[in-house]
Amino acid sequence: MTTIHMPLLSMQHIDKFFFGKPANNDISLEVRAGEIHALLGENGAGKSTLMNILFGIYSLDGGTIYLKGKEVKFFSPREAIKSGIGMVHQHFMLVPTLTVSENITLGIKSTGHPLPDRKKINDNIRQLSHKYGLDVDPCALVSKLSVGEEQRVEIIKLLYRDVELLILDEPTAVLTPQEIERFFSVLKRLKEEGHSIILITHRIPEAMAISDRVTVLRNGTRIATVNTTETNKEELSRLMIGRNLKPIVRGARAKATEKDNPRLDVKELDYLEYGQGKLQKVSFSLYPGEILGIAGVDGNGQKELAECILGLRKATQGTISLNGVRIEKSSVAERKKLGLAYVSDDQHHDGLVMDMNLVENYLLRVHTYKDYIKNGLIDYQACSRVTEEAISAYNIKAPGINAPVRLLSGGNQQKLILARELTGNPSVIVALKPTRGLDIGAVEFVQKQLIERRNEGCSVLLISVDLEEILMLSDRIGVMNRGRVIEILDNNEGIDLAHIGLMMTGHTFEEKS
Amino acid sequence: MKYLNNILSITIIILIIVLVTIGLISAIGSDVTKAITGFFWGIFGSFYGLSEVLVRATPLILAGLGVAIGFRTGFFNIGAEGQIYMGAIAATVIGLEFPNLPPFILIPLVILGGFLLGGFWAVIPGFLKARFGLSEIINTIMFNYIAINIVGILVRTSLKDPNYPLPMSPELPENMYLQQLLYPTRLHIGFIIALVASLLIYVLMWKMVAGFKMRAVGLNPRGSKCSGISVYKNILLASLISGGLAGVAGVSEIAGLHYRLLEGISPGFGYIAIIVALLGRNHPVGVVFAAIGIAALQVGSITMQVQSGVPTSISWIIMGLLVLLILARRTVSSVNSDQKEEATL
Amino acid sequence: MIADFFVGLEAFISATIRMAIPLALAGLGETYSEKSGILNIGLEGIMLCGAFFSFIVAFLTNSLAMGITAGILGGMIISSIHSFISIKYKADQTITGLALNFFVAGLTSYLFLLFFGKSTNLPECLMVPVINIPFLWKIPFFGPVLFQQDGYVYFTLFAVIITWILFYRTEWGVNLHAVGESPKAADSVGLNVIRIRYISAMVNGFFGGLAGSYLTLALLGFFMENITSGRGYIALVVVILGRRNPLGVLLASLLIGSANALQFQIQVKGLAVPSQVFIMFPYIITVVVLLFSIGKSHDPSSLGIPFTRSKR
Repeated sequence: MTTIHMPLLSMQHIDKFFFGKPANNDISLEVRAGEIHALLGENGAGKSTLMNILFGIYSLDGGTIYLKGKEVKFFSPREAIKSGIGMVHQHFMLVPTLTVSENITLGIKSTGHPLPDRKKINDNIRQLSHKYGLDVDPCALVSKLSVGEEQRVEIIKLLYRDVELLILDEPTAVLTPQEIERFFSVLKRLKEEGHSIILITHRIPEAMAISDRVTVLRNGTRIATVNTTETNKEELSRLMIGRNLKPIVRGARAKATEKDNPRLDVKELDYLEYGQGKLQKVSFSLYPGEILGIAGVDGNGQKELAECILGLRKATQGTISLNGVRIEKSSVAERKKLGLAYVSDDQHHDGLVMDMNLVENYLLRVHTYKDYIKNGLIDYQACSRVTEEAISAYNIKAPGINAPVRLLSGGNQQKLILARELTGNPSVIVALKPTRGLDIGAVEFVQKQLIERRNEGCSVLLISVDLEEILMLSDRIGVMNRGRVIEILDNNEGIDLAHIGLMMTGHTFEEKS
Repeated sequence: MKYLNNILSITIIILIIVLVTIGLISAIGSDVTKAITGFFWGIFGSFYGLSEVLVRATPLILAGLGVAIGFRTGFFNIGAEGQIYMGAIAATVIGLEFPNLPPFILIPLVILGGFLLGGFWAVIPGFLKARFGLSEIINTIMFNYIAINIVGILVRTSLKDPNYPLPMSPELPENMYLQQLLYPTRLHIGFIIALVASLLIYVLMWKMVAGFKMRAVGLNPRGSKCSGISVYKNILLASLISGGLAGVAGVSEIAGLHYRLLEGISPGFGYIAIIVALLGRNHPVGVVFAAIGIAALQVGSITMQVQSGVPTSISWIIMGLLVLLILARRTVSSVNSDQKEEATL
Repeated sequence: MIADFFVGLEAFISATIRMAIPLALAGLGETYSEKSGILNIGLEGIMLCGAFFSFIVAFLTNSLAMGITAGILGGMIISSIHSFISIKYKADQTITGLALNFFVAGLTSYLFLLFFGKSTNLPECLMVPVINIPFLWKIPFFGPVLFQQDGYVYFTLFAVIITWILFYRTEWGVNLHAVGESPKAADSVGLNVIRIRYISAMVNGFFGGLAGSYLTLALLGFFMENITSGRGYIALVVVILGRRNPLGVLLASLLIGSANALQFQIQVKGLAVPSQVFIMFPYIITVVVLLFSIGKSHDPSSLGIPFTRSKR
């Protein structure tokens, strides 16, 4: 039976400009009560912007929003929450030094204010968590929680405030395949209880798996809204990207395998931080001309592994050899000189100095090279030349080489970092989530670059939380969980994804029975 | 539009400063016109006045350069005052130990000694910051008080002039005097040294790789580390150079003006240098001009005091107010805007 | 002999308390500010302003109550300026603080000259009387130490306890903590980060001004230039050492206070050294004490960083 329901939420002709450029251009979105609505689009398509407008973080430049038929405009998240709309962001808004319970009630005047009845509150929280299948311990300190647990706290935070419409921004990015299944059942439960959900995602399989309808955004405009049952992956992909995406062909490896000397040899690497074993007996070898992908859920030691290899952190135990030379006691500069390159997802803190120009940022790599430094003096002509070459070779859009790097887009910044790090033909590239947050053009570029280097004989250690990316690019795949590299498999036709999923949650092969 | 805004805000700041100054002068009961004329006459009215401005600017340029280098690298050197005194101590000790060395050896030696002792005085807090993350702000301030008291002890004990009852060192050997440039003014070679230092610092920071590294560390410590630049080494280096330059300022005052060590050779130069560095936007050229400007303020206010009885504490009020107004004017786009986020990572 | 020892001990404890009180009060106020995310180097200026205005009003009105109020107000005005420039203009908090210290130093010196001219006799003012808590103060030895003190001491203890309850048992304390640790999270749940920071700054000024008034109205009985001589900076160290916990701040103040008191004991022995040796003590001790805080304290994550709402 079809009845025409008045939509719960209706956003009409929404416009939003940033610095004159349209982030949202005449977007209209309709969400019905009790539906799970996927908002699908690649990075930079405008999904988060649209939802931030709804949630009161951004102001809109044009258009109207109707909630239950009445026009609304939210000037702060607090107002949105009061009207029953809540959002869980990609980066959680929790205070790590407070307990789960304190975070959930933060900003609410509980009974007994200002001296709250913590026991009663905790009981209420336990009730909620049972009802929806969201397991949390109210007395736990947030800093000790896993990412999945933090996400549950965020959702309970909204439910505690009687939120009807939940907006979830890329919620599965931080979950293992098994946790994703569990997460979907929570969503179904929420739906049963009468809540509506907007799911912001760039992953088509998810949108297909759980949503009732999908709205596709591309370049700030709404492309289409379809019923999930009436569409398929290919159509969504085409709508999302605007063309048929050609998968990157990895091709066969150029060099032979185990017979060669390993470029990077990591043995029994341990890293302790505040008594916690962030890395435990990590061992693997990286050979010439291959990409070793390390998969895993974020927060299981990936960052620590990359930083120990780079030299930012000193491993507590174990050895690292680069081209046969032991480097675990060497400085970052020495390791880079020996042929190590590093690219991460954090351009702001790891990769660039935002207030310096392109030439000076290029200098960050070549400041030890004799070609560019003569008697301690910087040869700016040589540096400028090589920077210009990099800009044209990598197609970097910049207002000149003397502009501060801050003005470049994320994708162009990453291209600059890549160009710079690849100077001097490094033999090992450590890439930590190198495509995170970039637009699809830049993502493709970075991935292609890594393949090209690997074809030329370079070794790439690709640490990523994007399983698709790992599967697409890696010759061999290792899985990280709780600081351990569980197993390393060859990435060929018969690879068992379920097995990888289990490893990501920590089941080793022996435990699997 | 932005240009107009700039002019407008600068005009408002100048207006506020002028009004406050007039208010303070009249509250004391002095004749405003007489005081203000006295102020400007003190600076521009005579050749001597102009030379005094440059004399006063000399230690401010040197210490200001030191503070500016520190700021650029992320080392907040509030200890220039103490480092000036340490430089003065070094100059005194060396001068008294080797009075018979010819000037072309003794003077560079004295300058080197002042640089090293002043640098040492800053390196201790620098090391504590680089190695342990201890706040250099509090440490350098404490070291100021300690240094001033060390001078007090020395001029009453081991460095005391036996011929005079007052606490001060014996007169220093002529061989270490910084030559007077324009007799009968007090202007001495120290001013030239200050200008040369500005040039050297400019070359260091913008033309040499060592300076590039220091600037990178100041703007993005973590990013620098990822690129193989040692934050630890560069903070140490910056603190050494920063303290060293302040130390040379102390040498300059001793060897160019006072010719002996006594208390009070620095009426807060080290603290004023912070304001100079700020006004000069931590750049050598800016520091030179800001130092001259502030020195003019000081010279003018002294004349104002002598002629109209206006207390010199007014200059501190004005300087503090000026910095506050400028801070309010400059919003987020300051020299080290990323530094704030890095500072507590 | 034993009697001598006890007399010496009593003098030592009294001196310790006298040294510790201004540090404890100023440090307590600073914990409010720092917990909300604002680092106030201008504490020295706040104390100096409080010292001056409490002195001058007490002198002119012959009323201690008015004097203390004036000191508190003086402190609050300076802290308000600091917070205004730090919050609204997002200026560097350290430089703002330093500039205020210069400004206040000049201002108090100027105003002092304005009122009293250049006299060598330092004008004196009333002093806060000692309060005897009935019965208890008669207990031998401990009695006078604990129950025969001036109002500032009792108030300090009271303030420490109230602050402790506030920080660790009330929702306001949780909110304050959240604002300093994760202002974005606090903002997202509707807490007014800006308002909480302004209020913390006012509290900071309240206590700082009160601490300054202690110097003139309880400790010395007069005002002179630079009467604070670095106590404001030492109070910052007390906050670090005390890990921004009111009890910790009190203990740290007592620690530094006792070290200073020790210096007096040694000085009294009459060694033939220049007084500068002893004057240096508090500052050297502060540096040493800072060394003890290595690696231990966790600063609020947003300390010193201006809060910016995402661009709307």
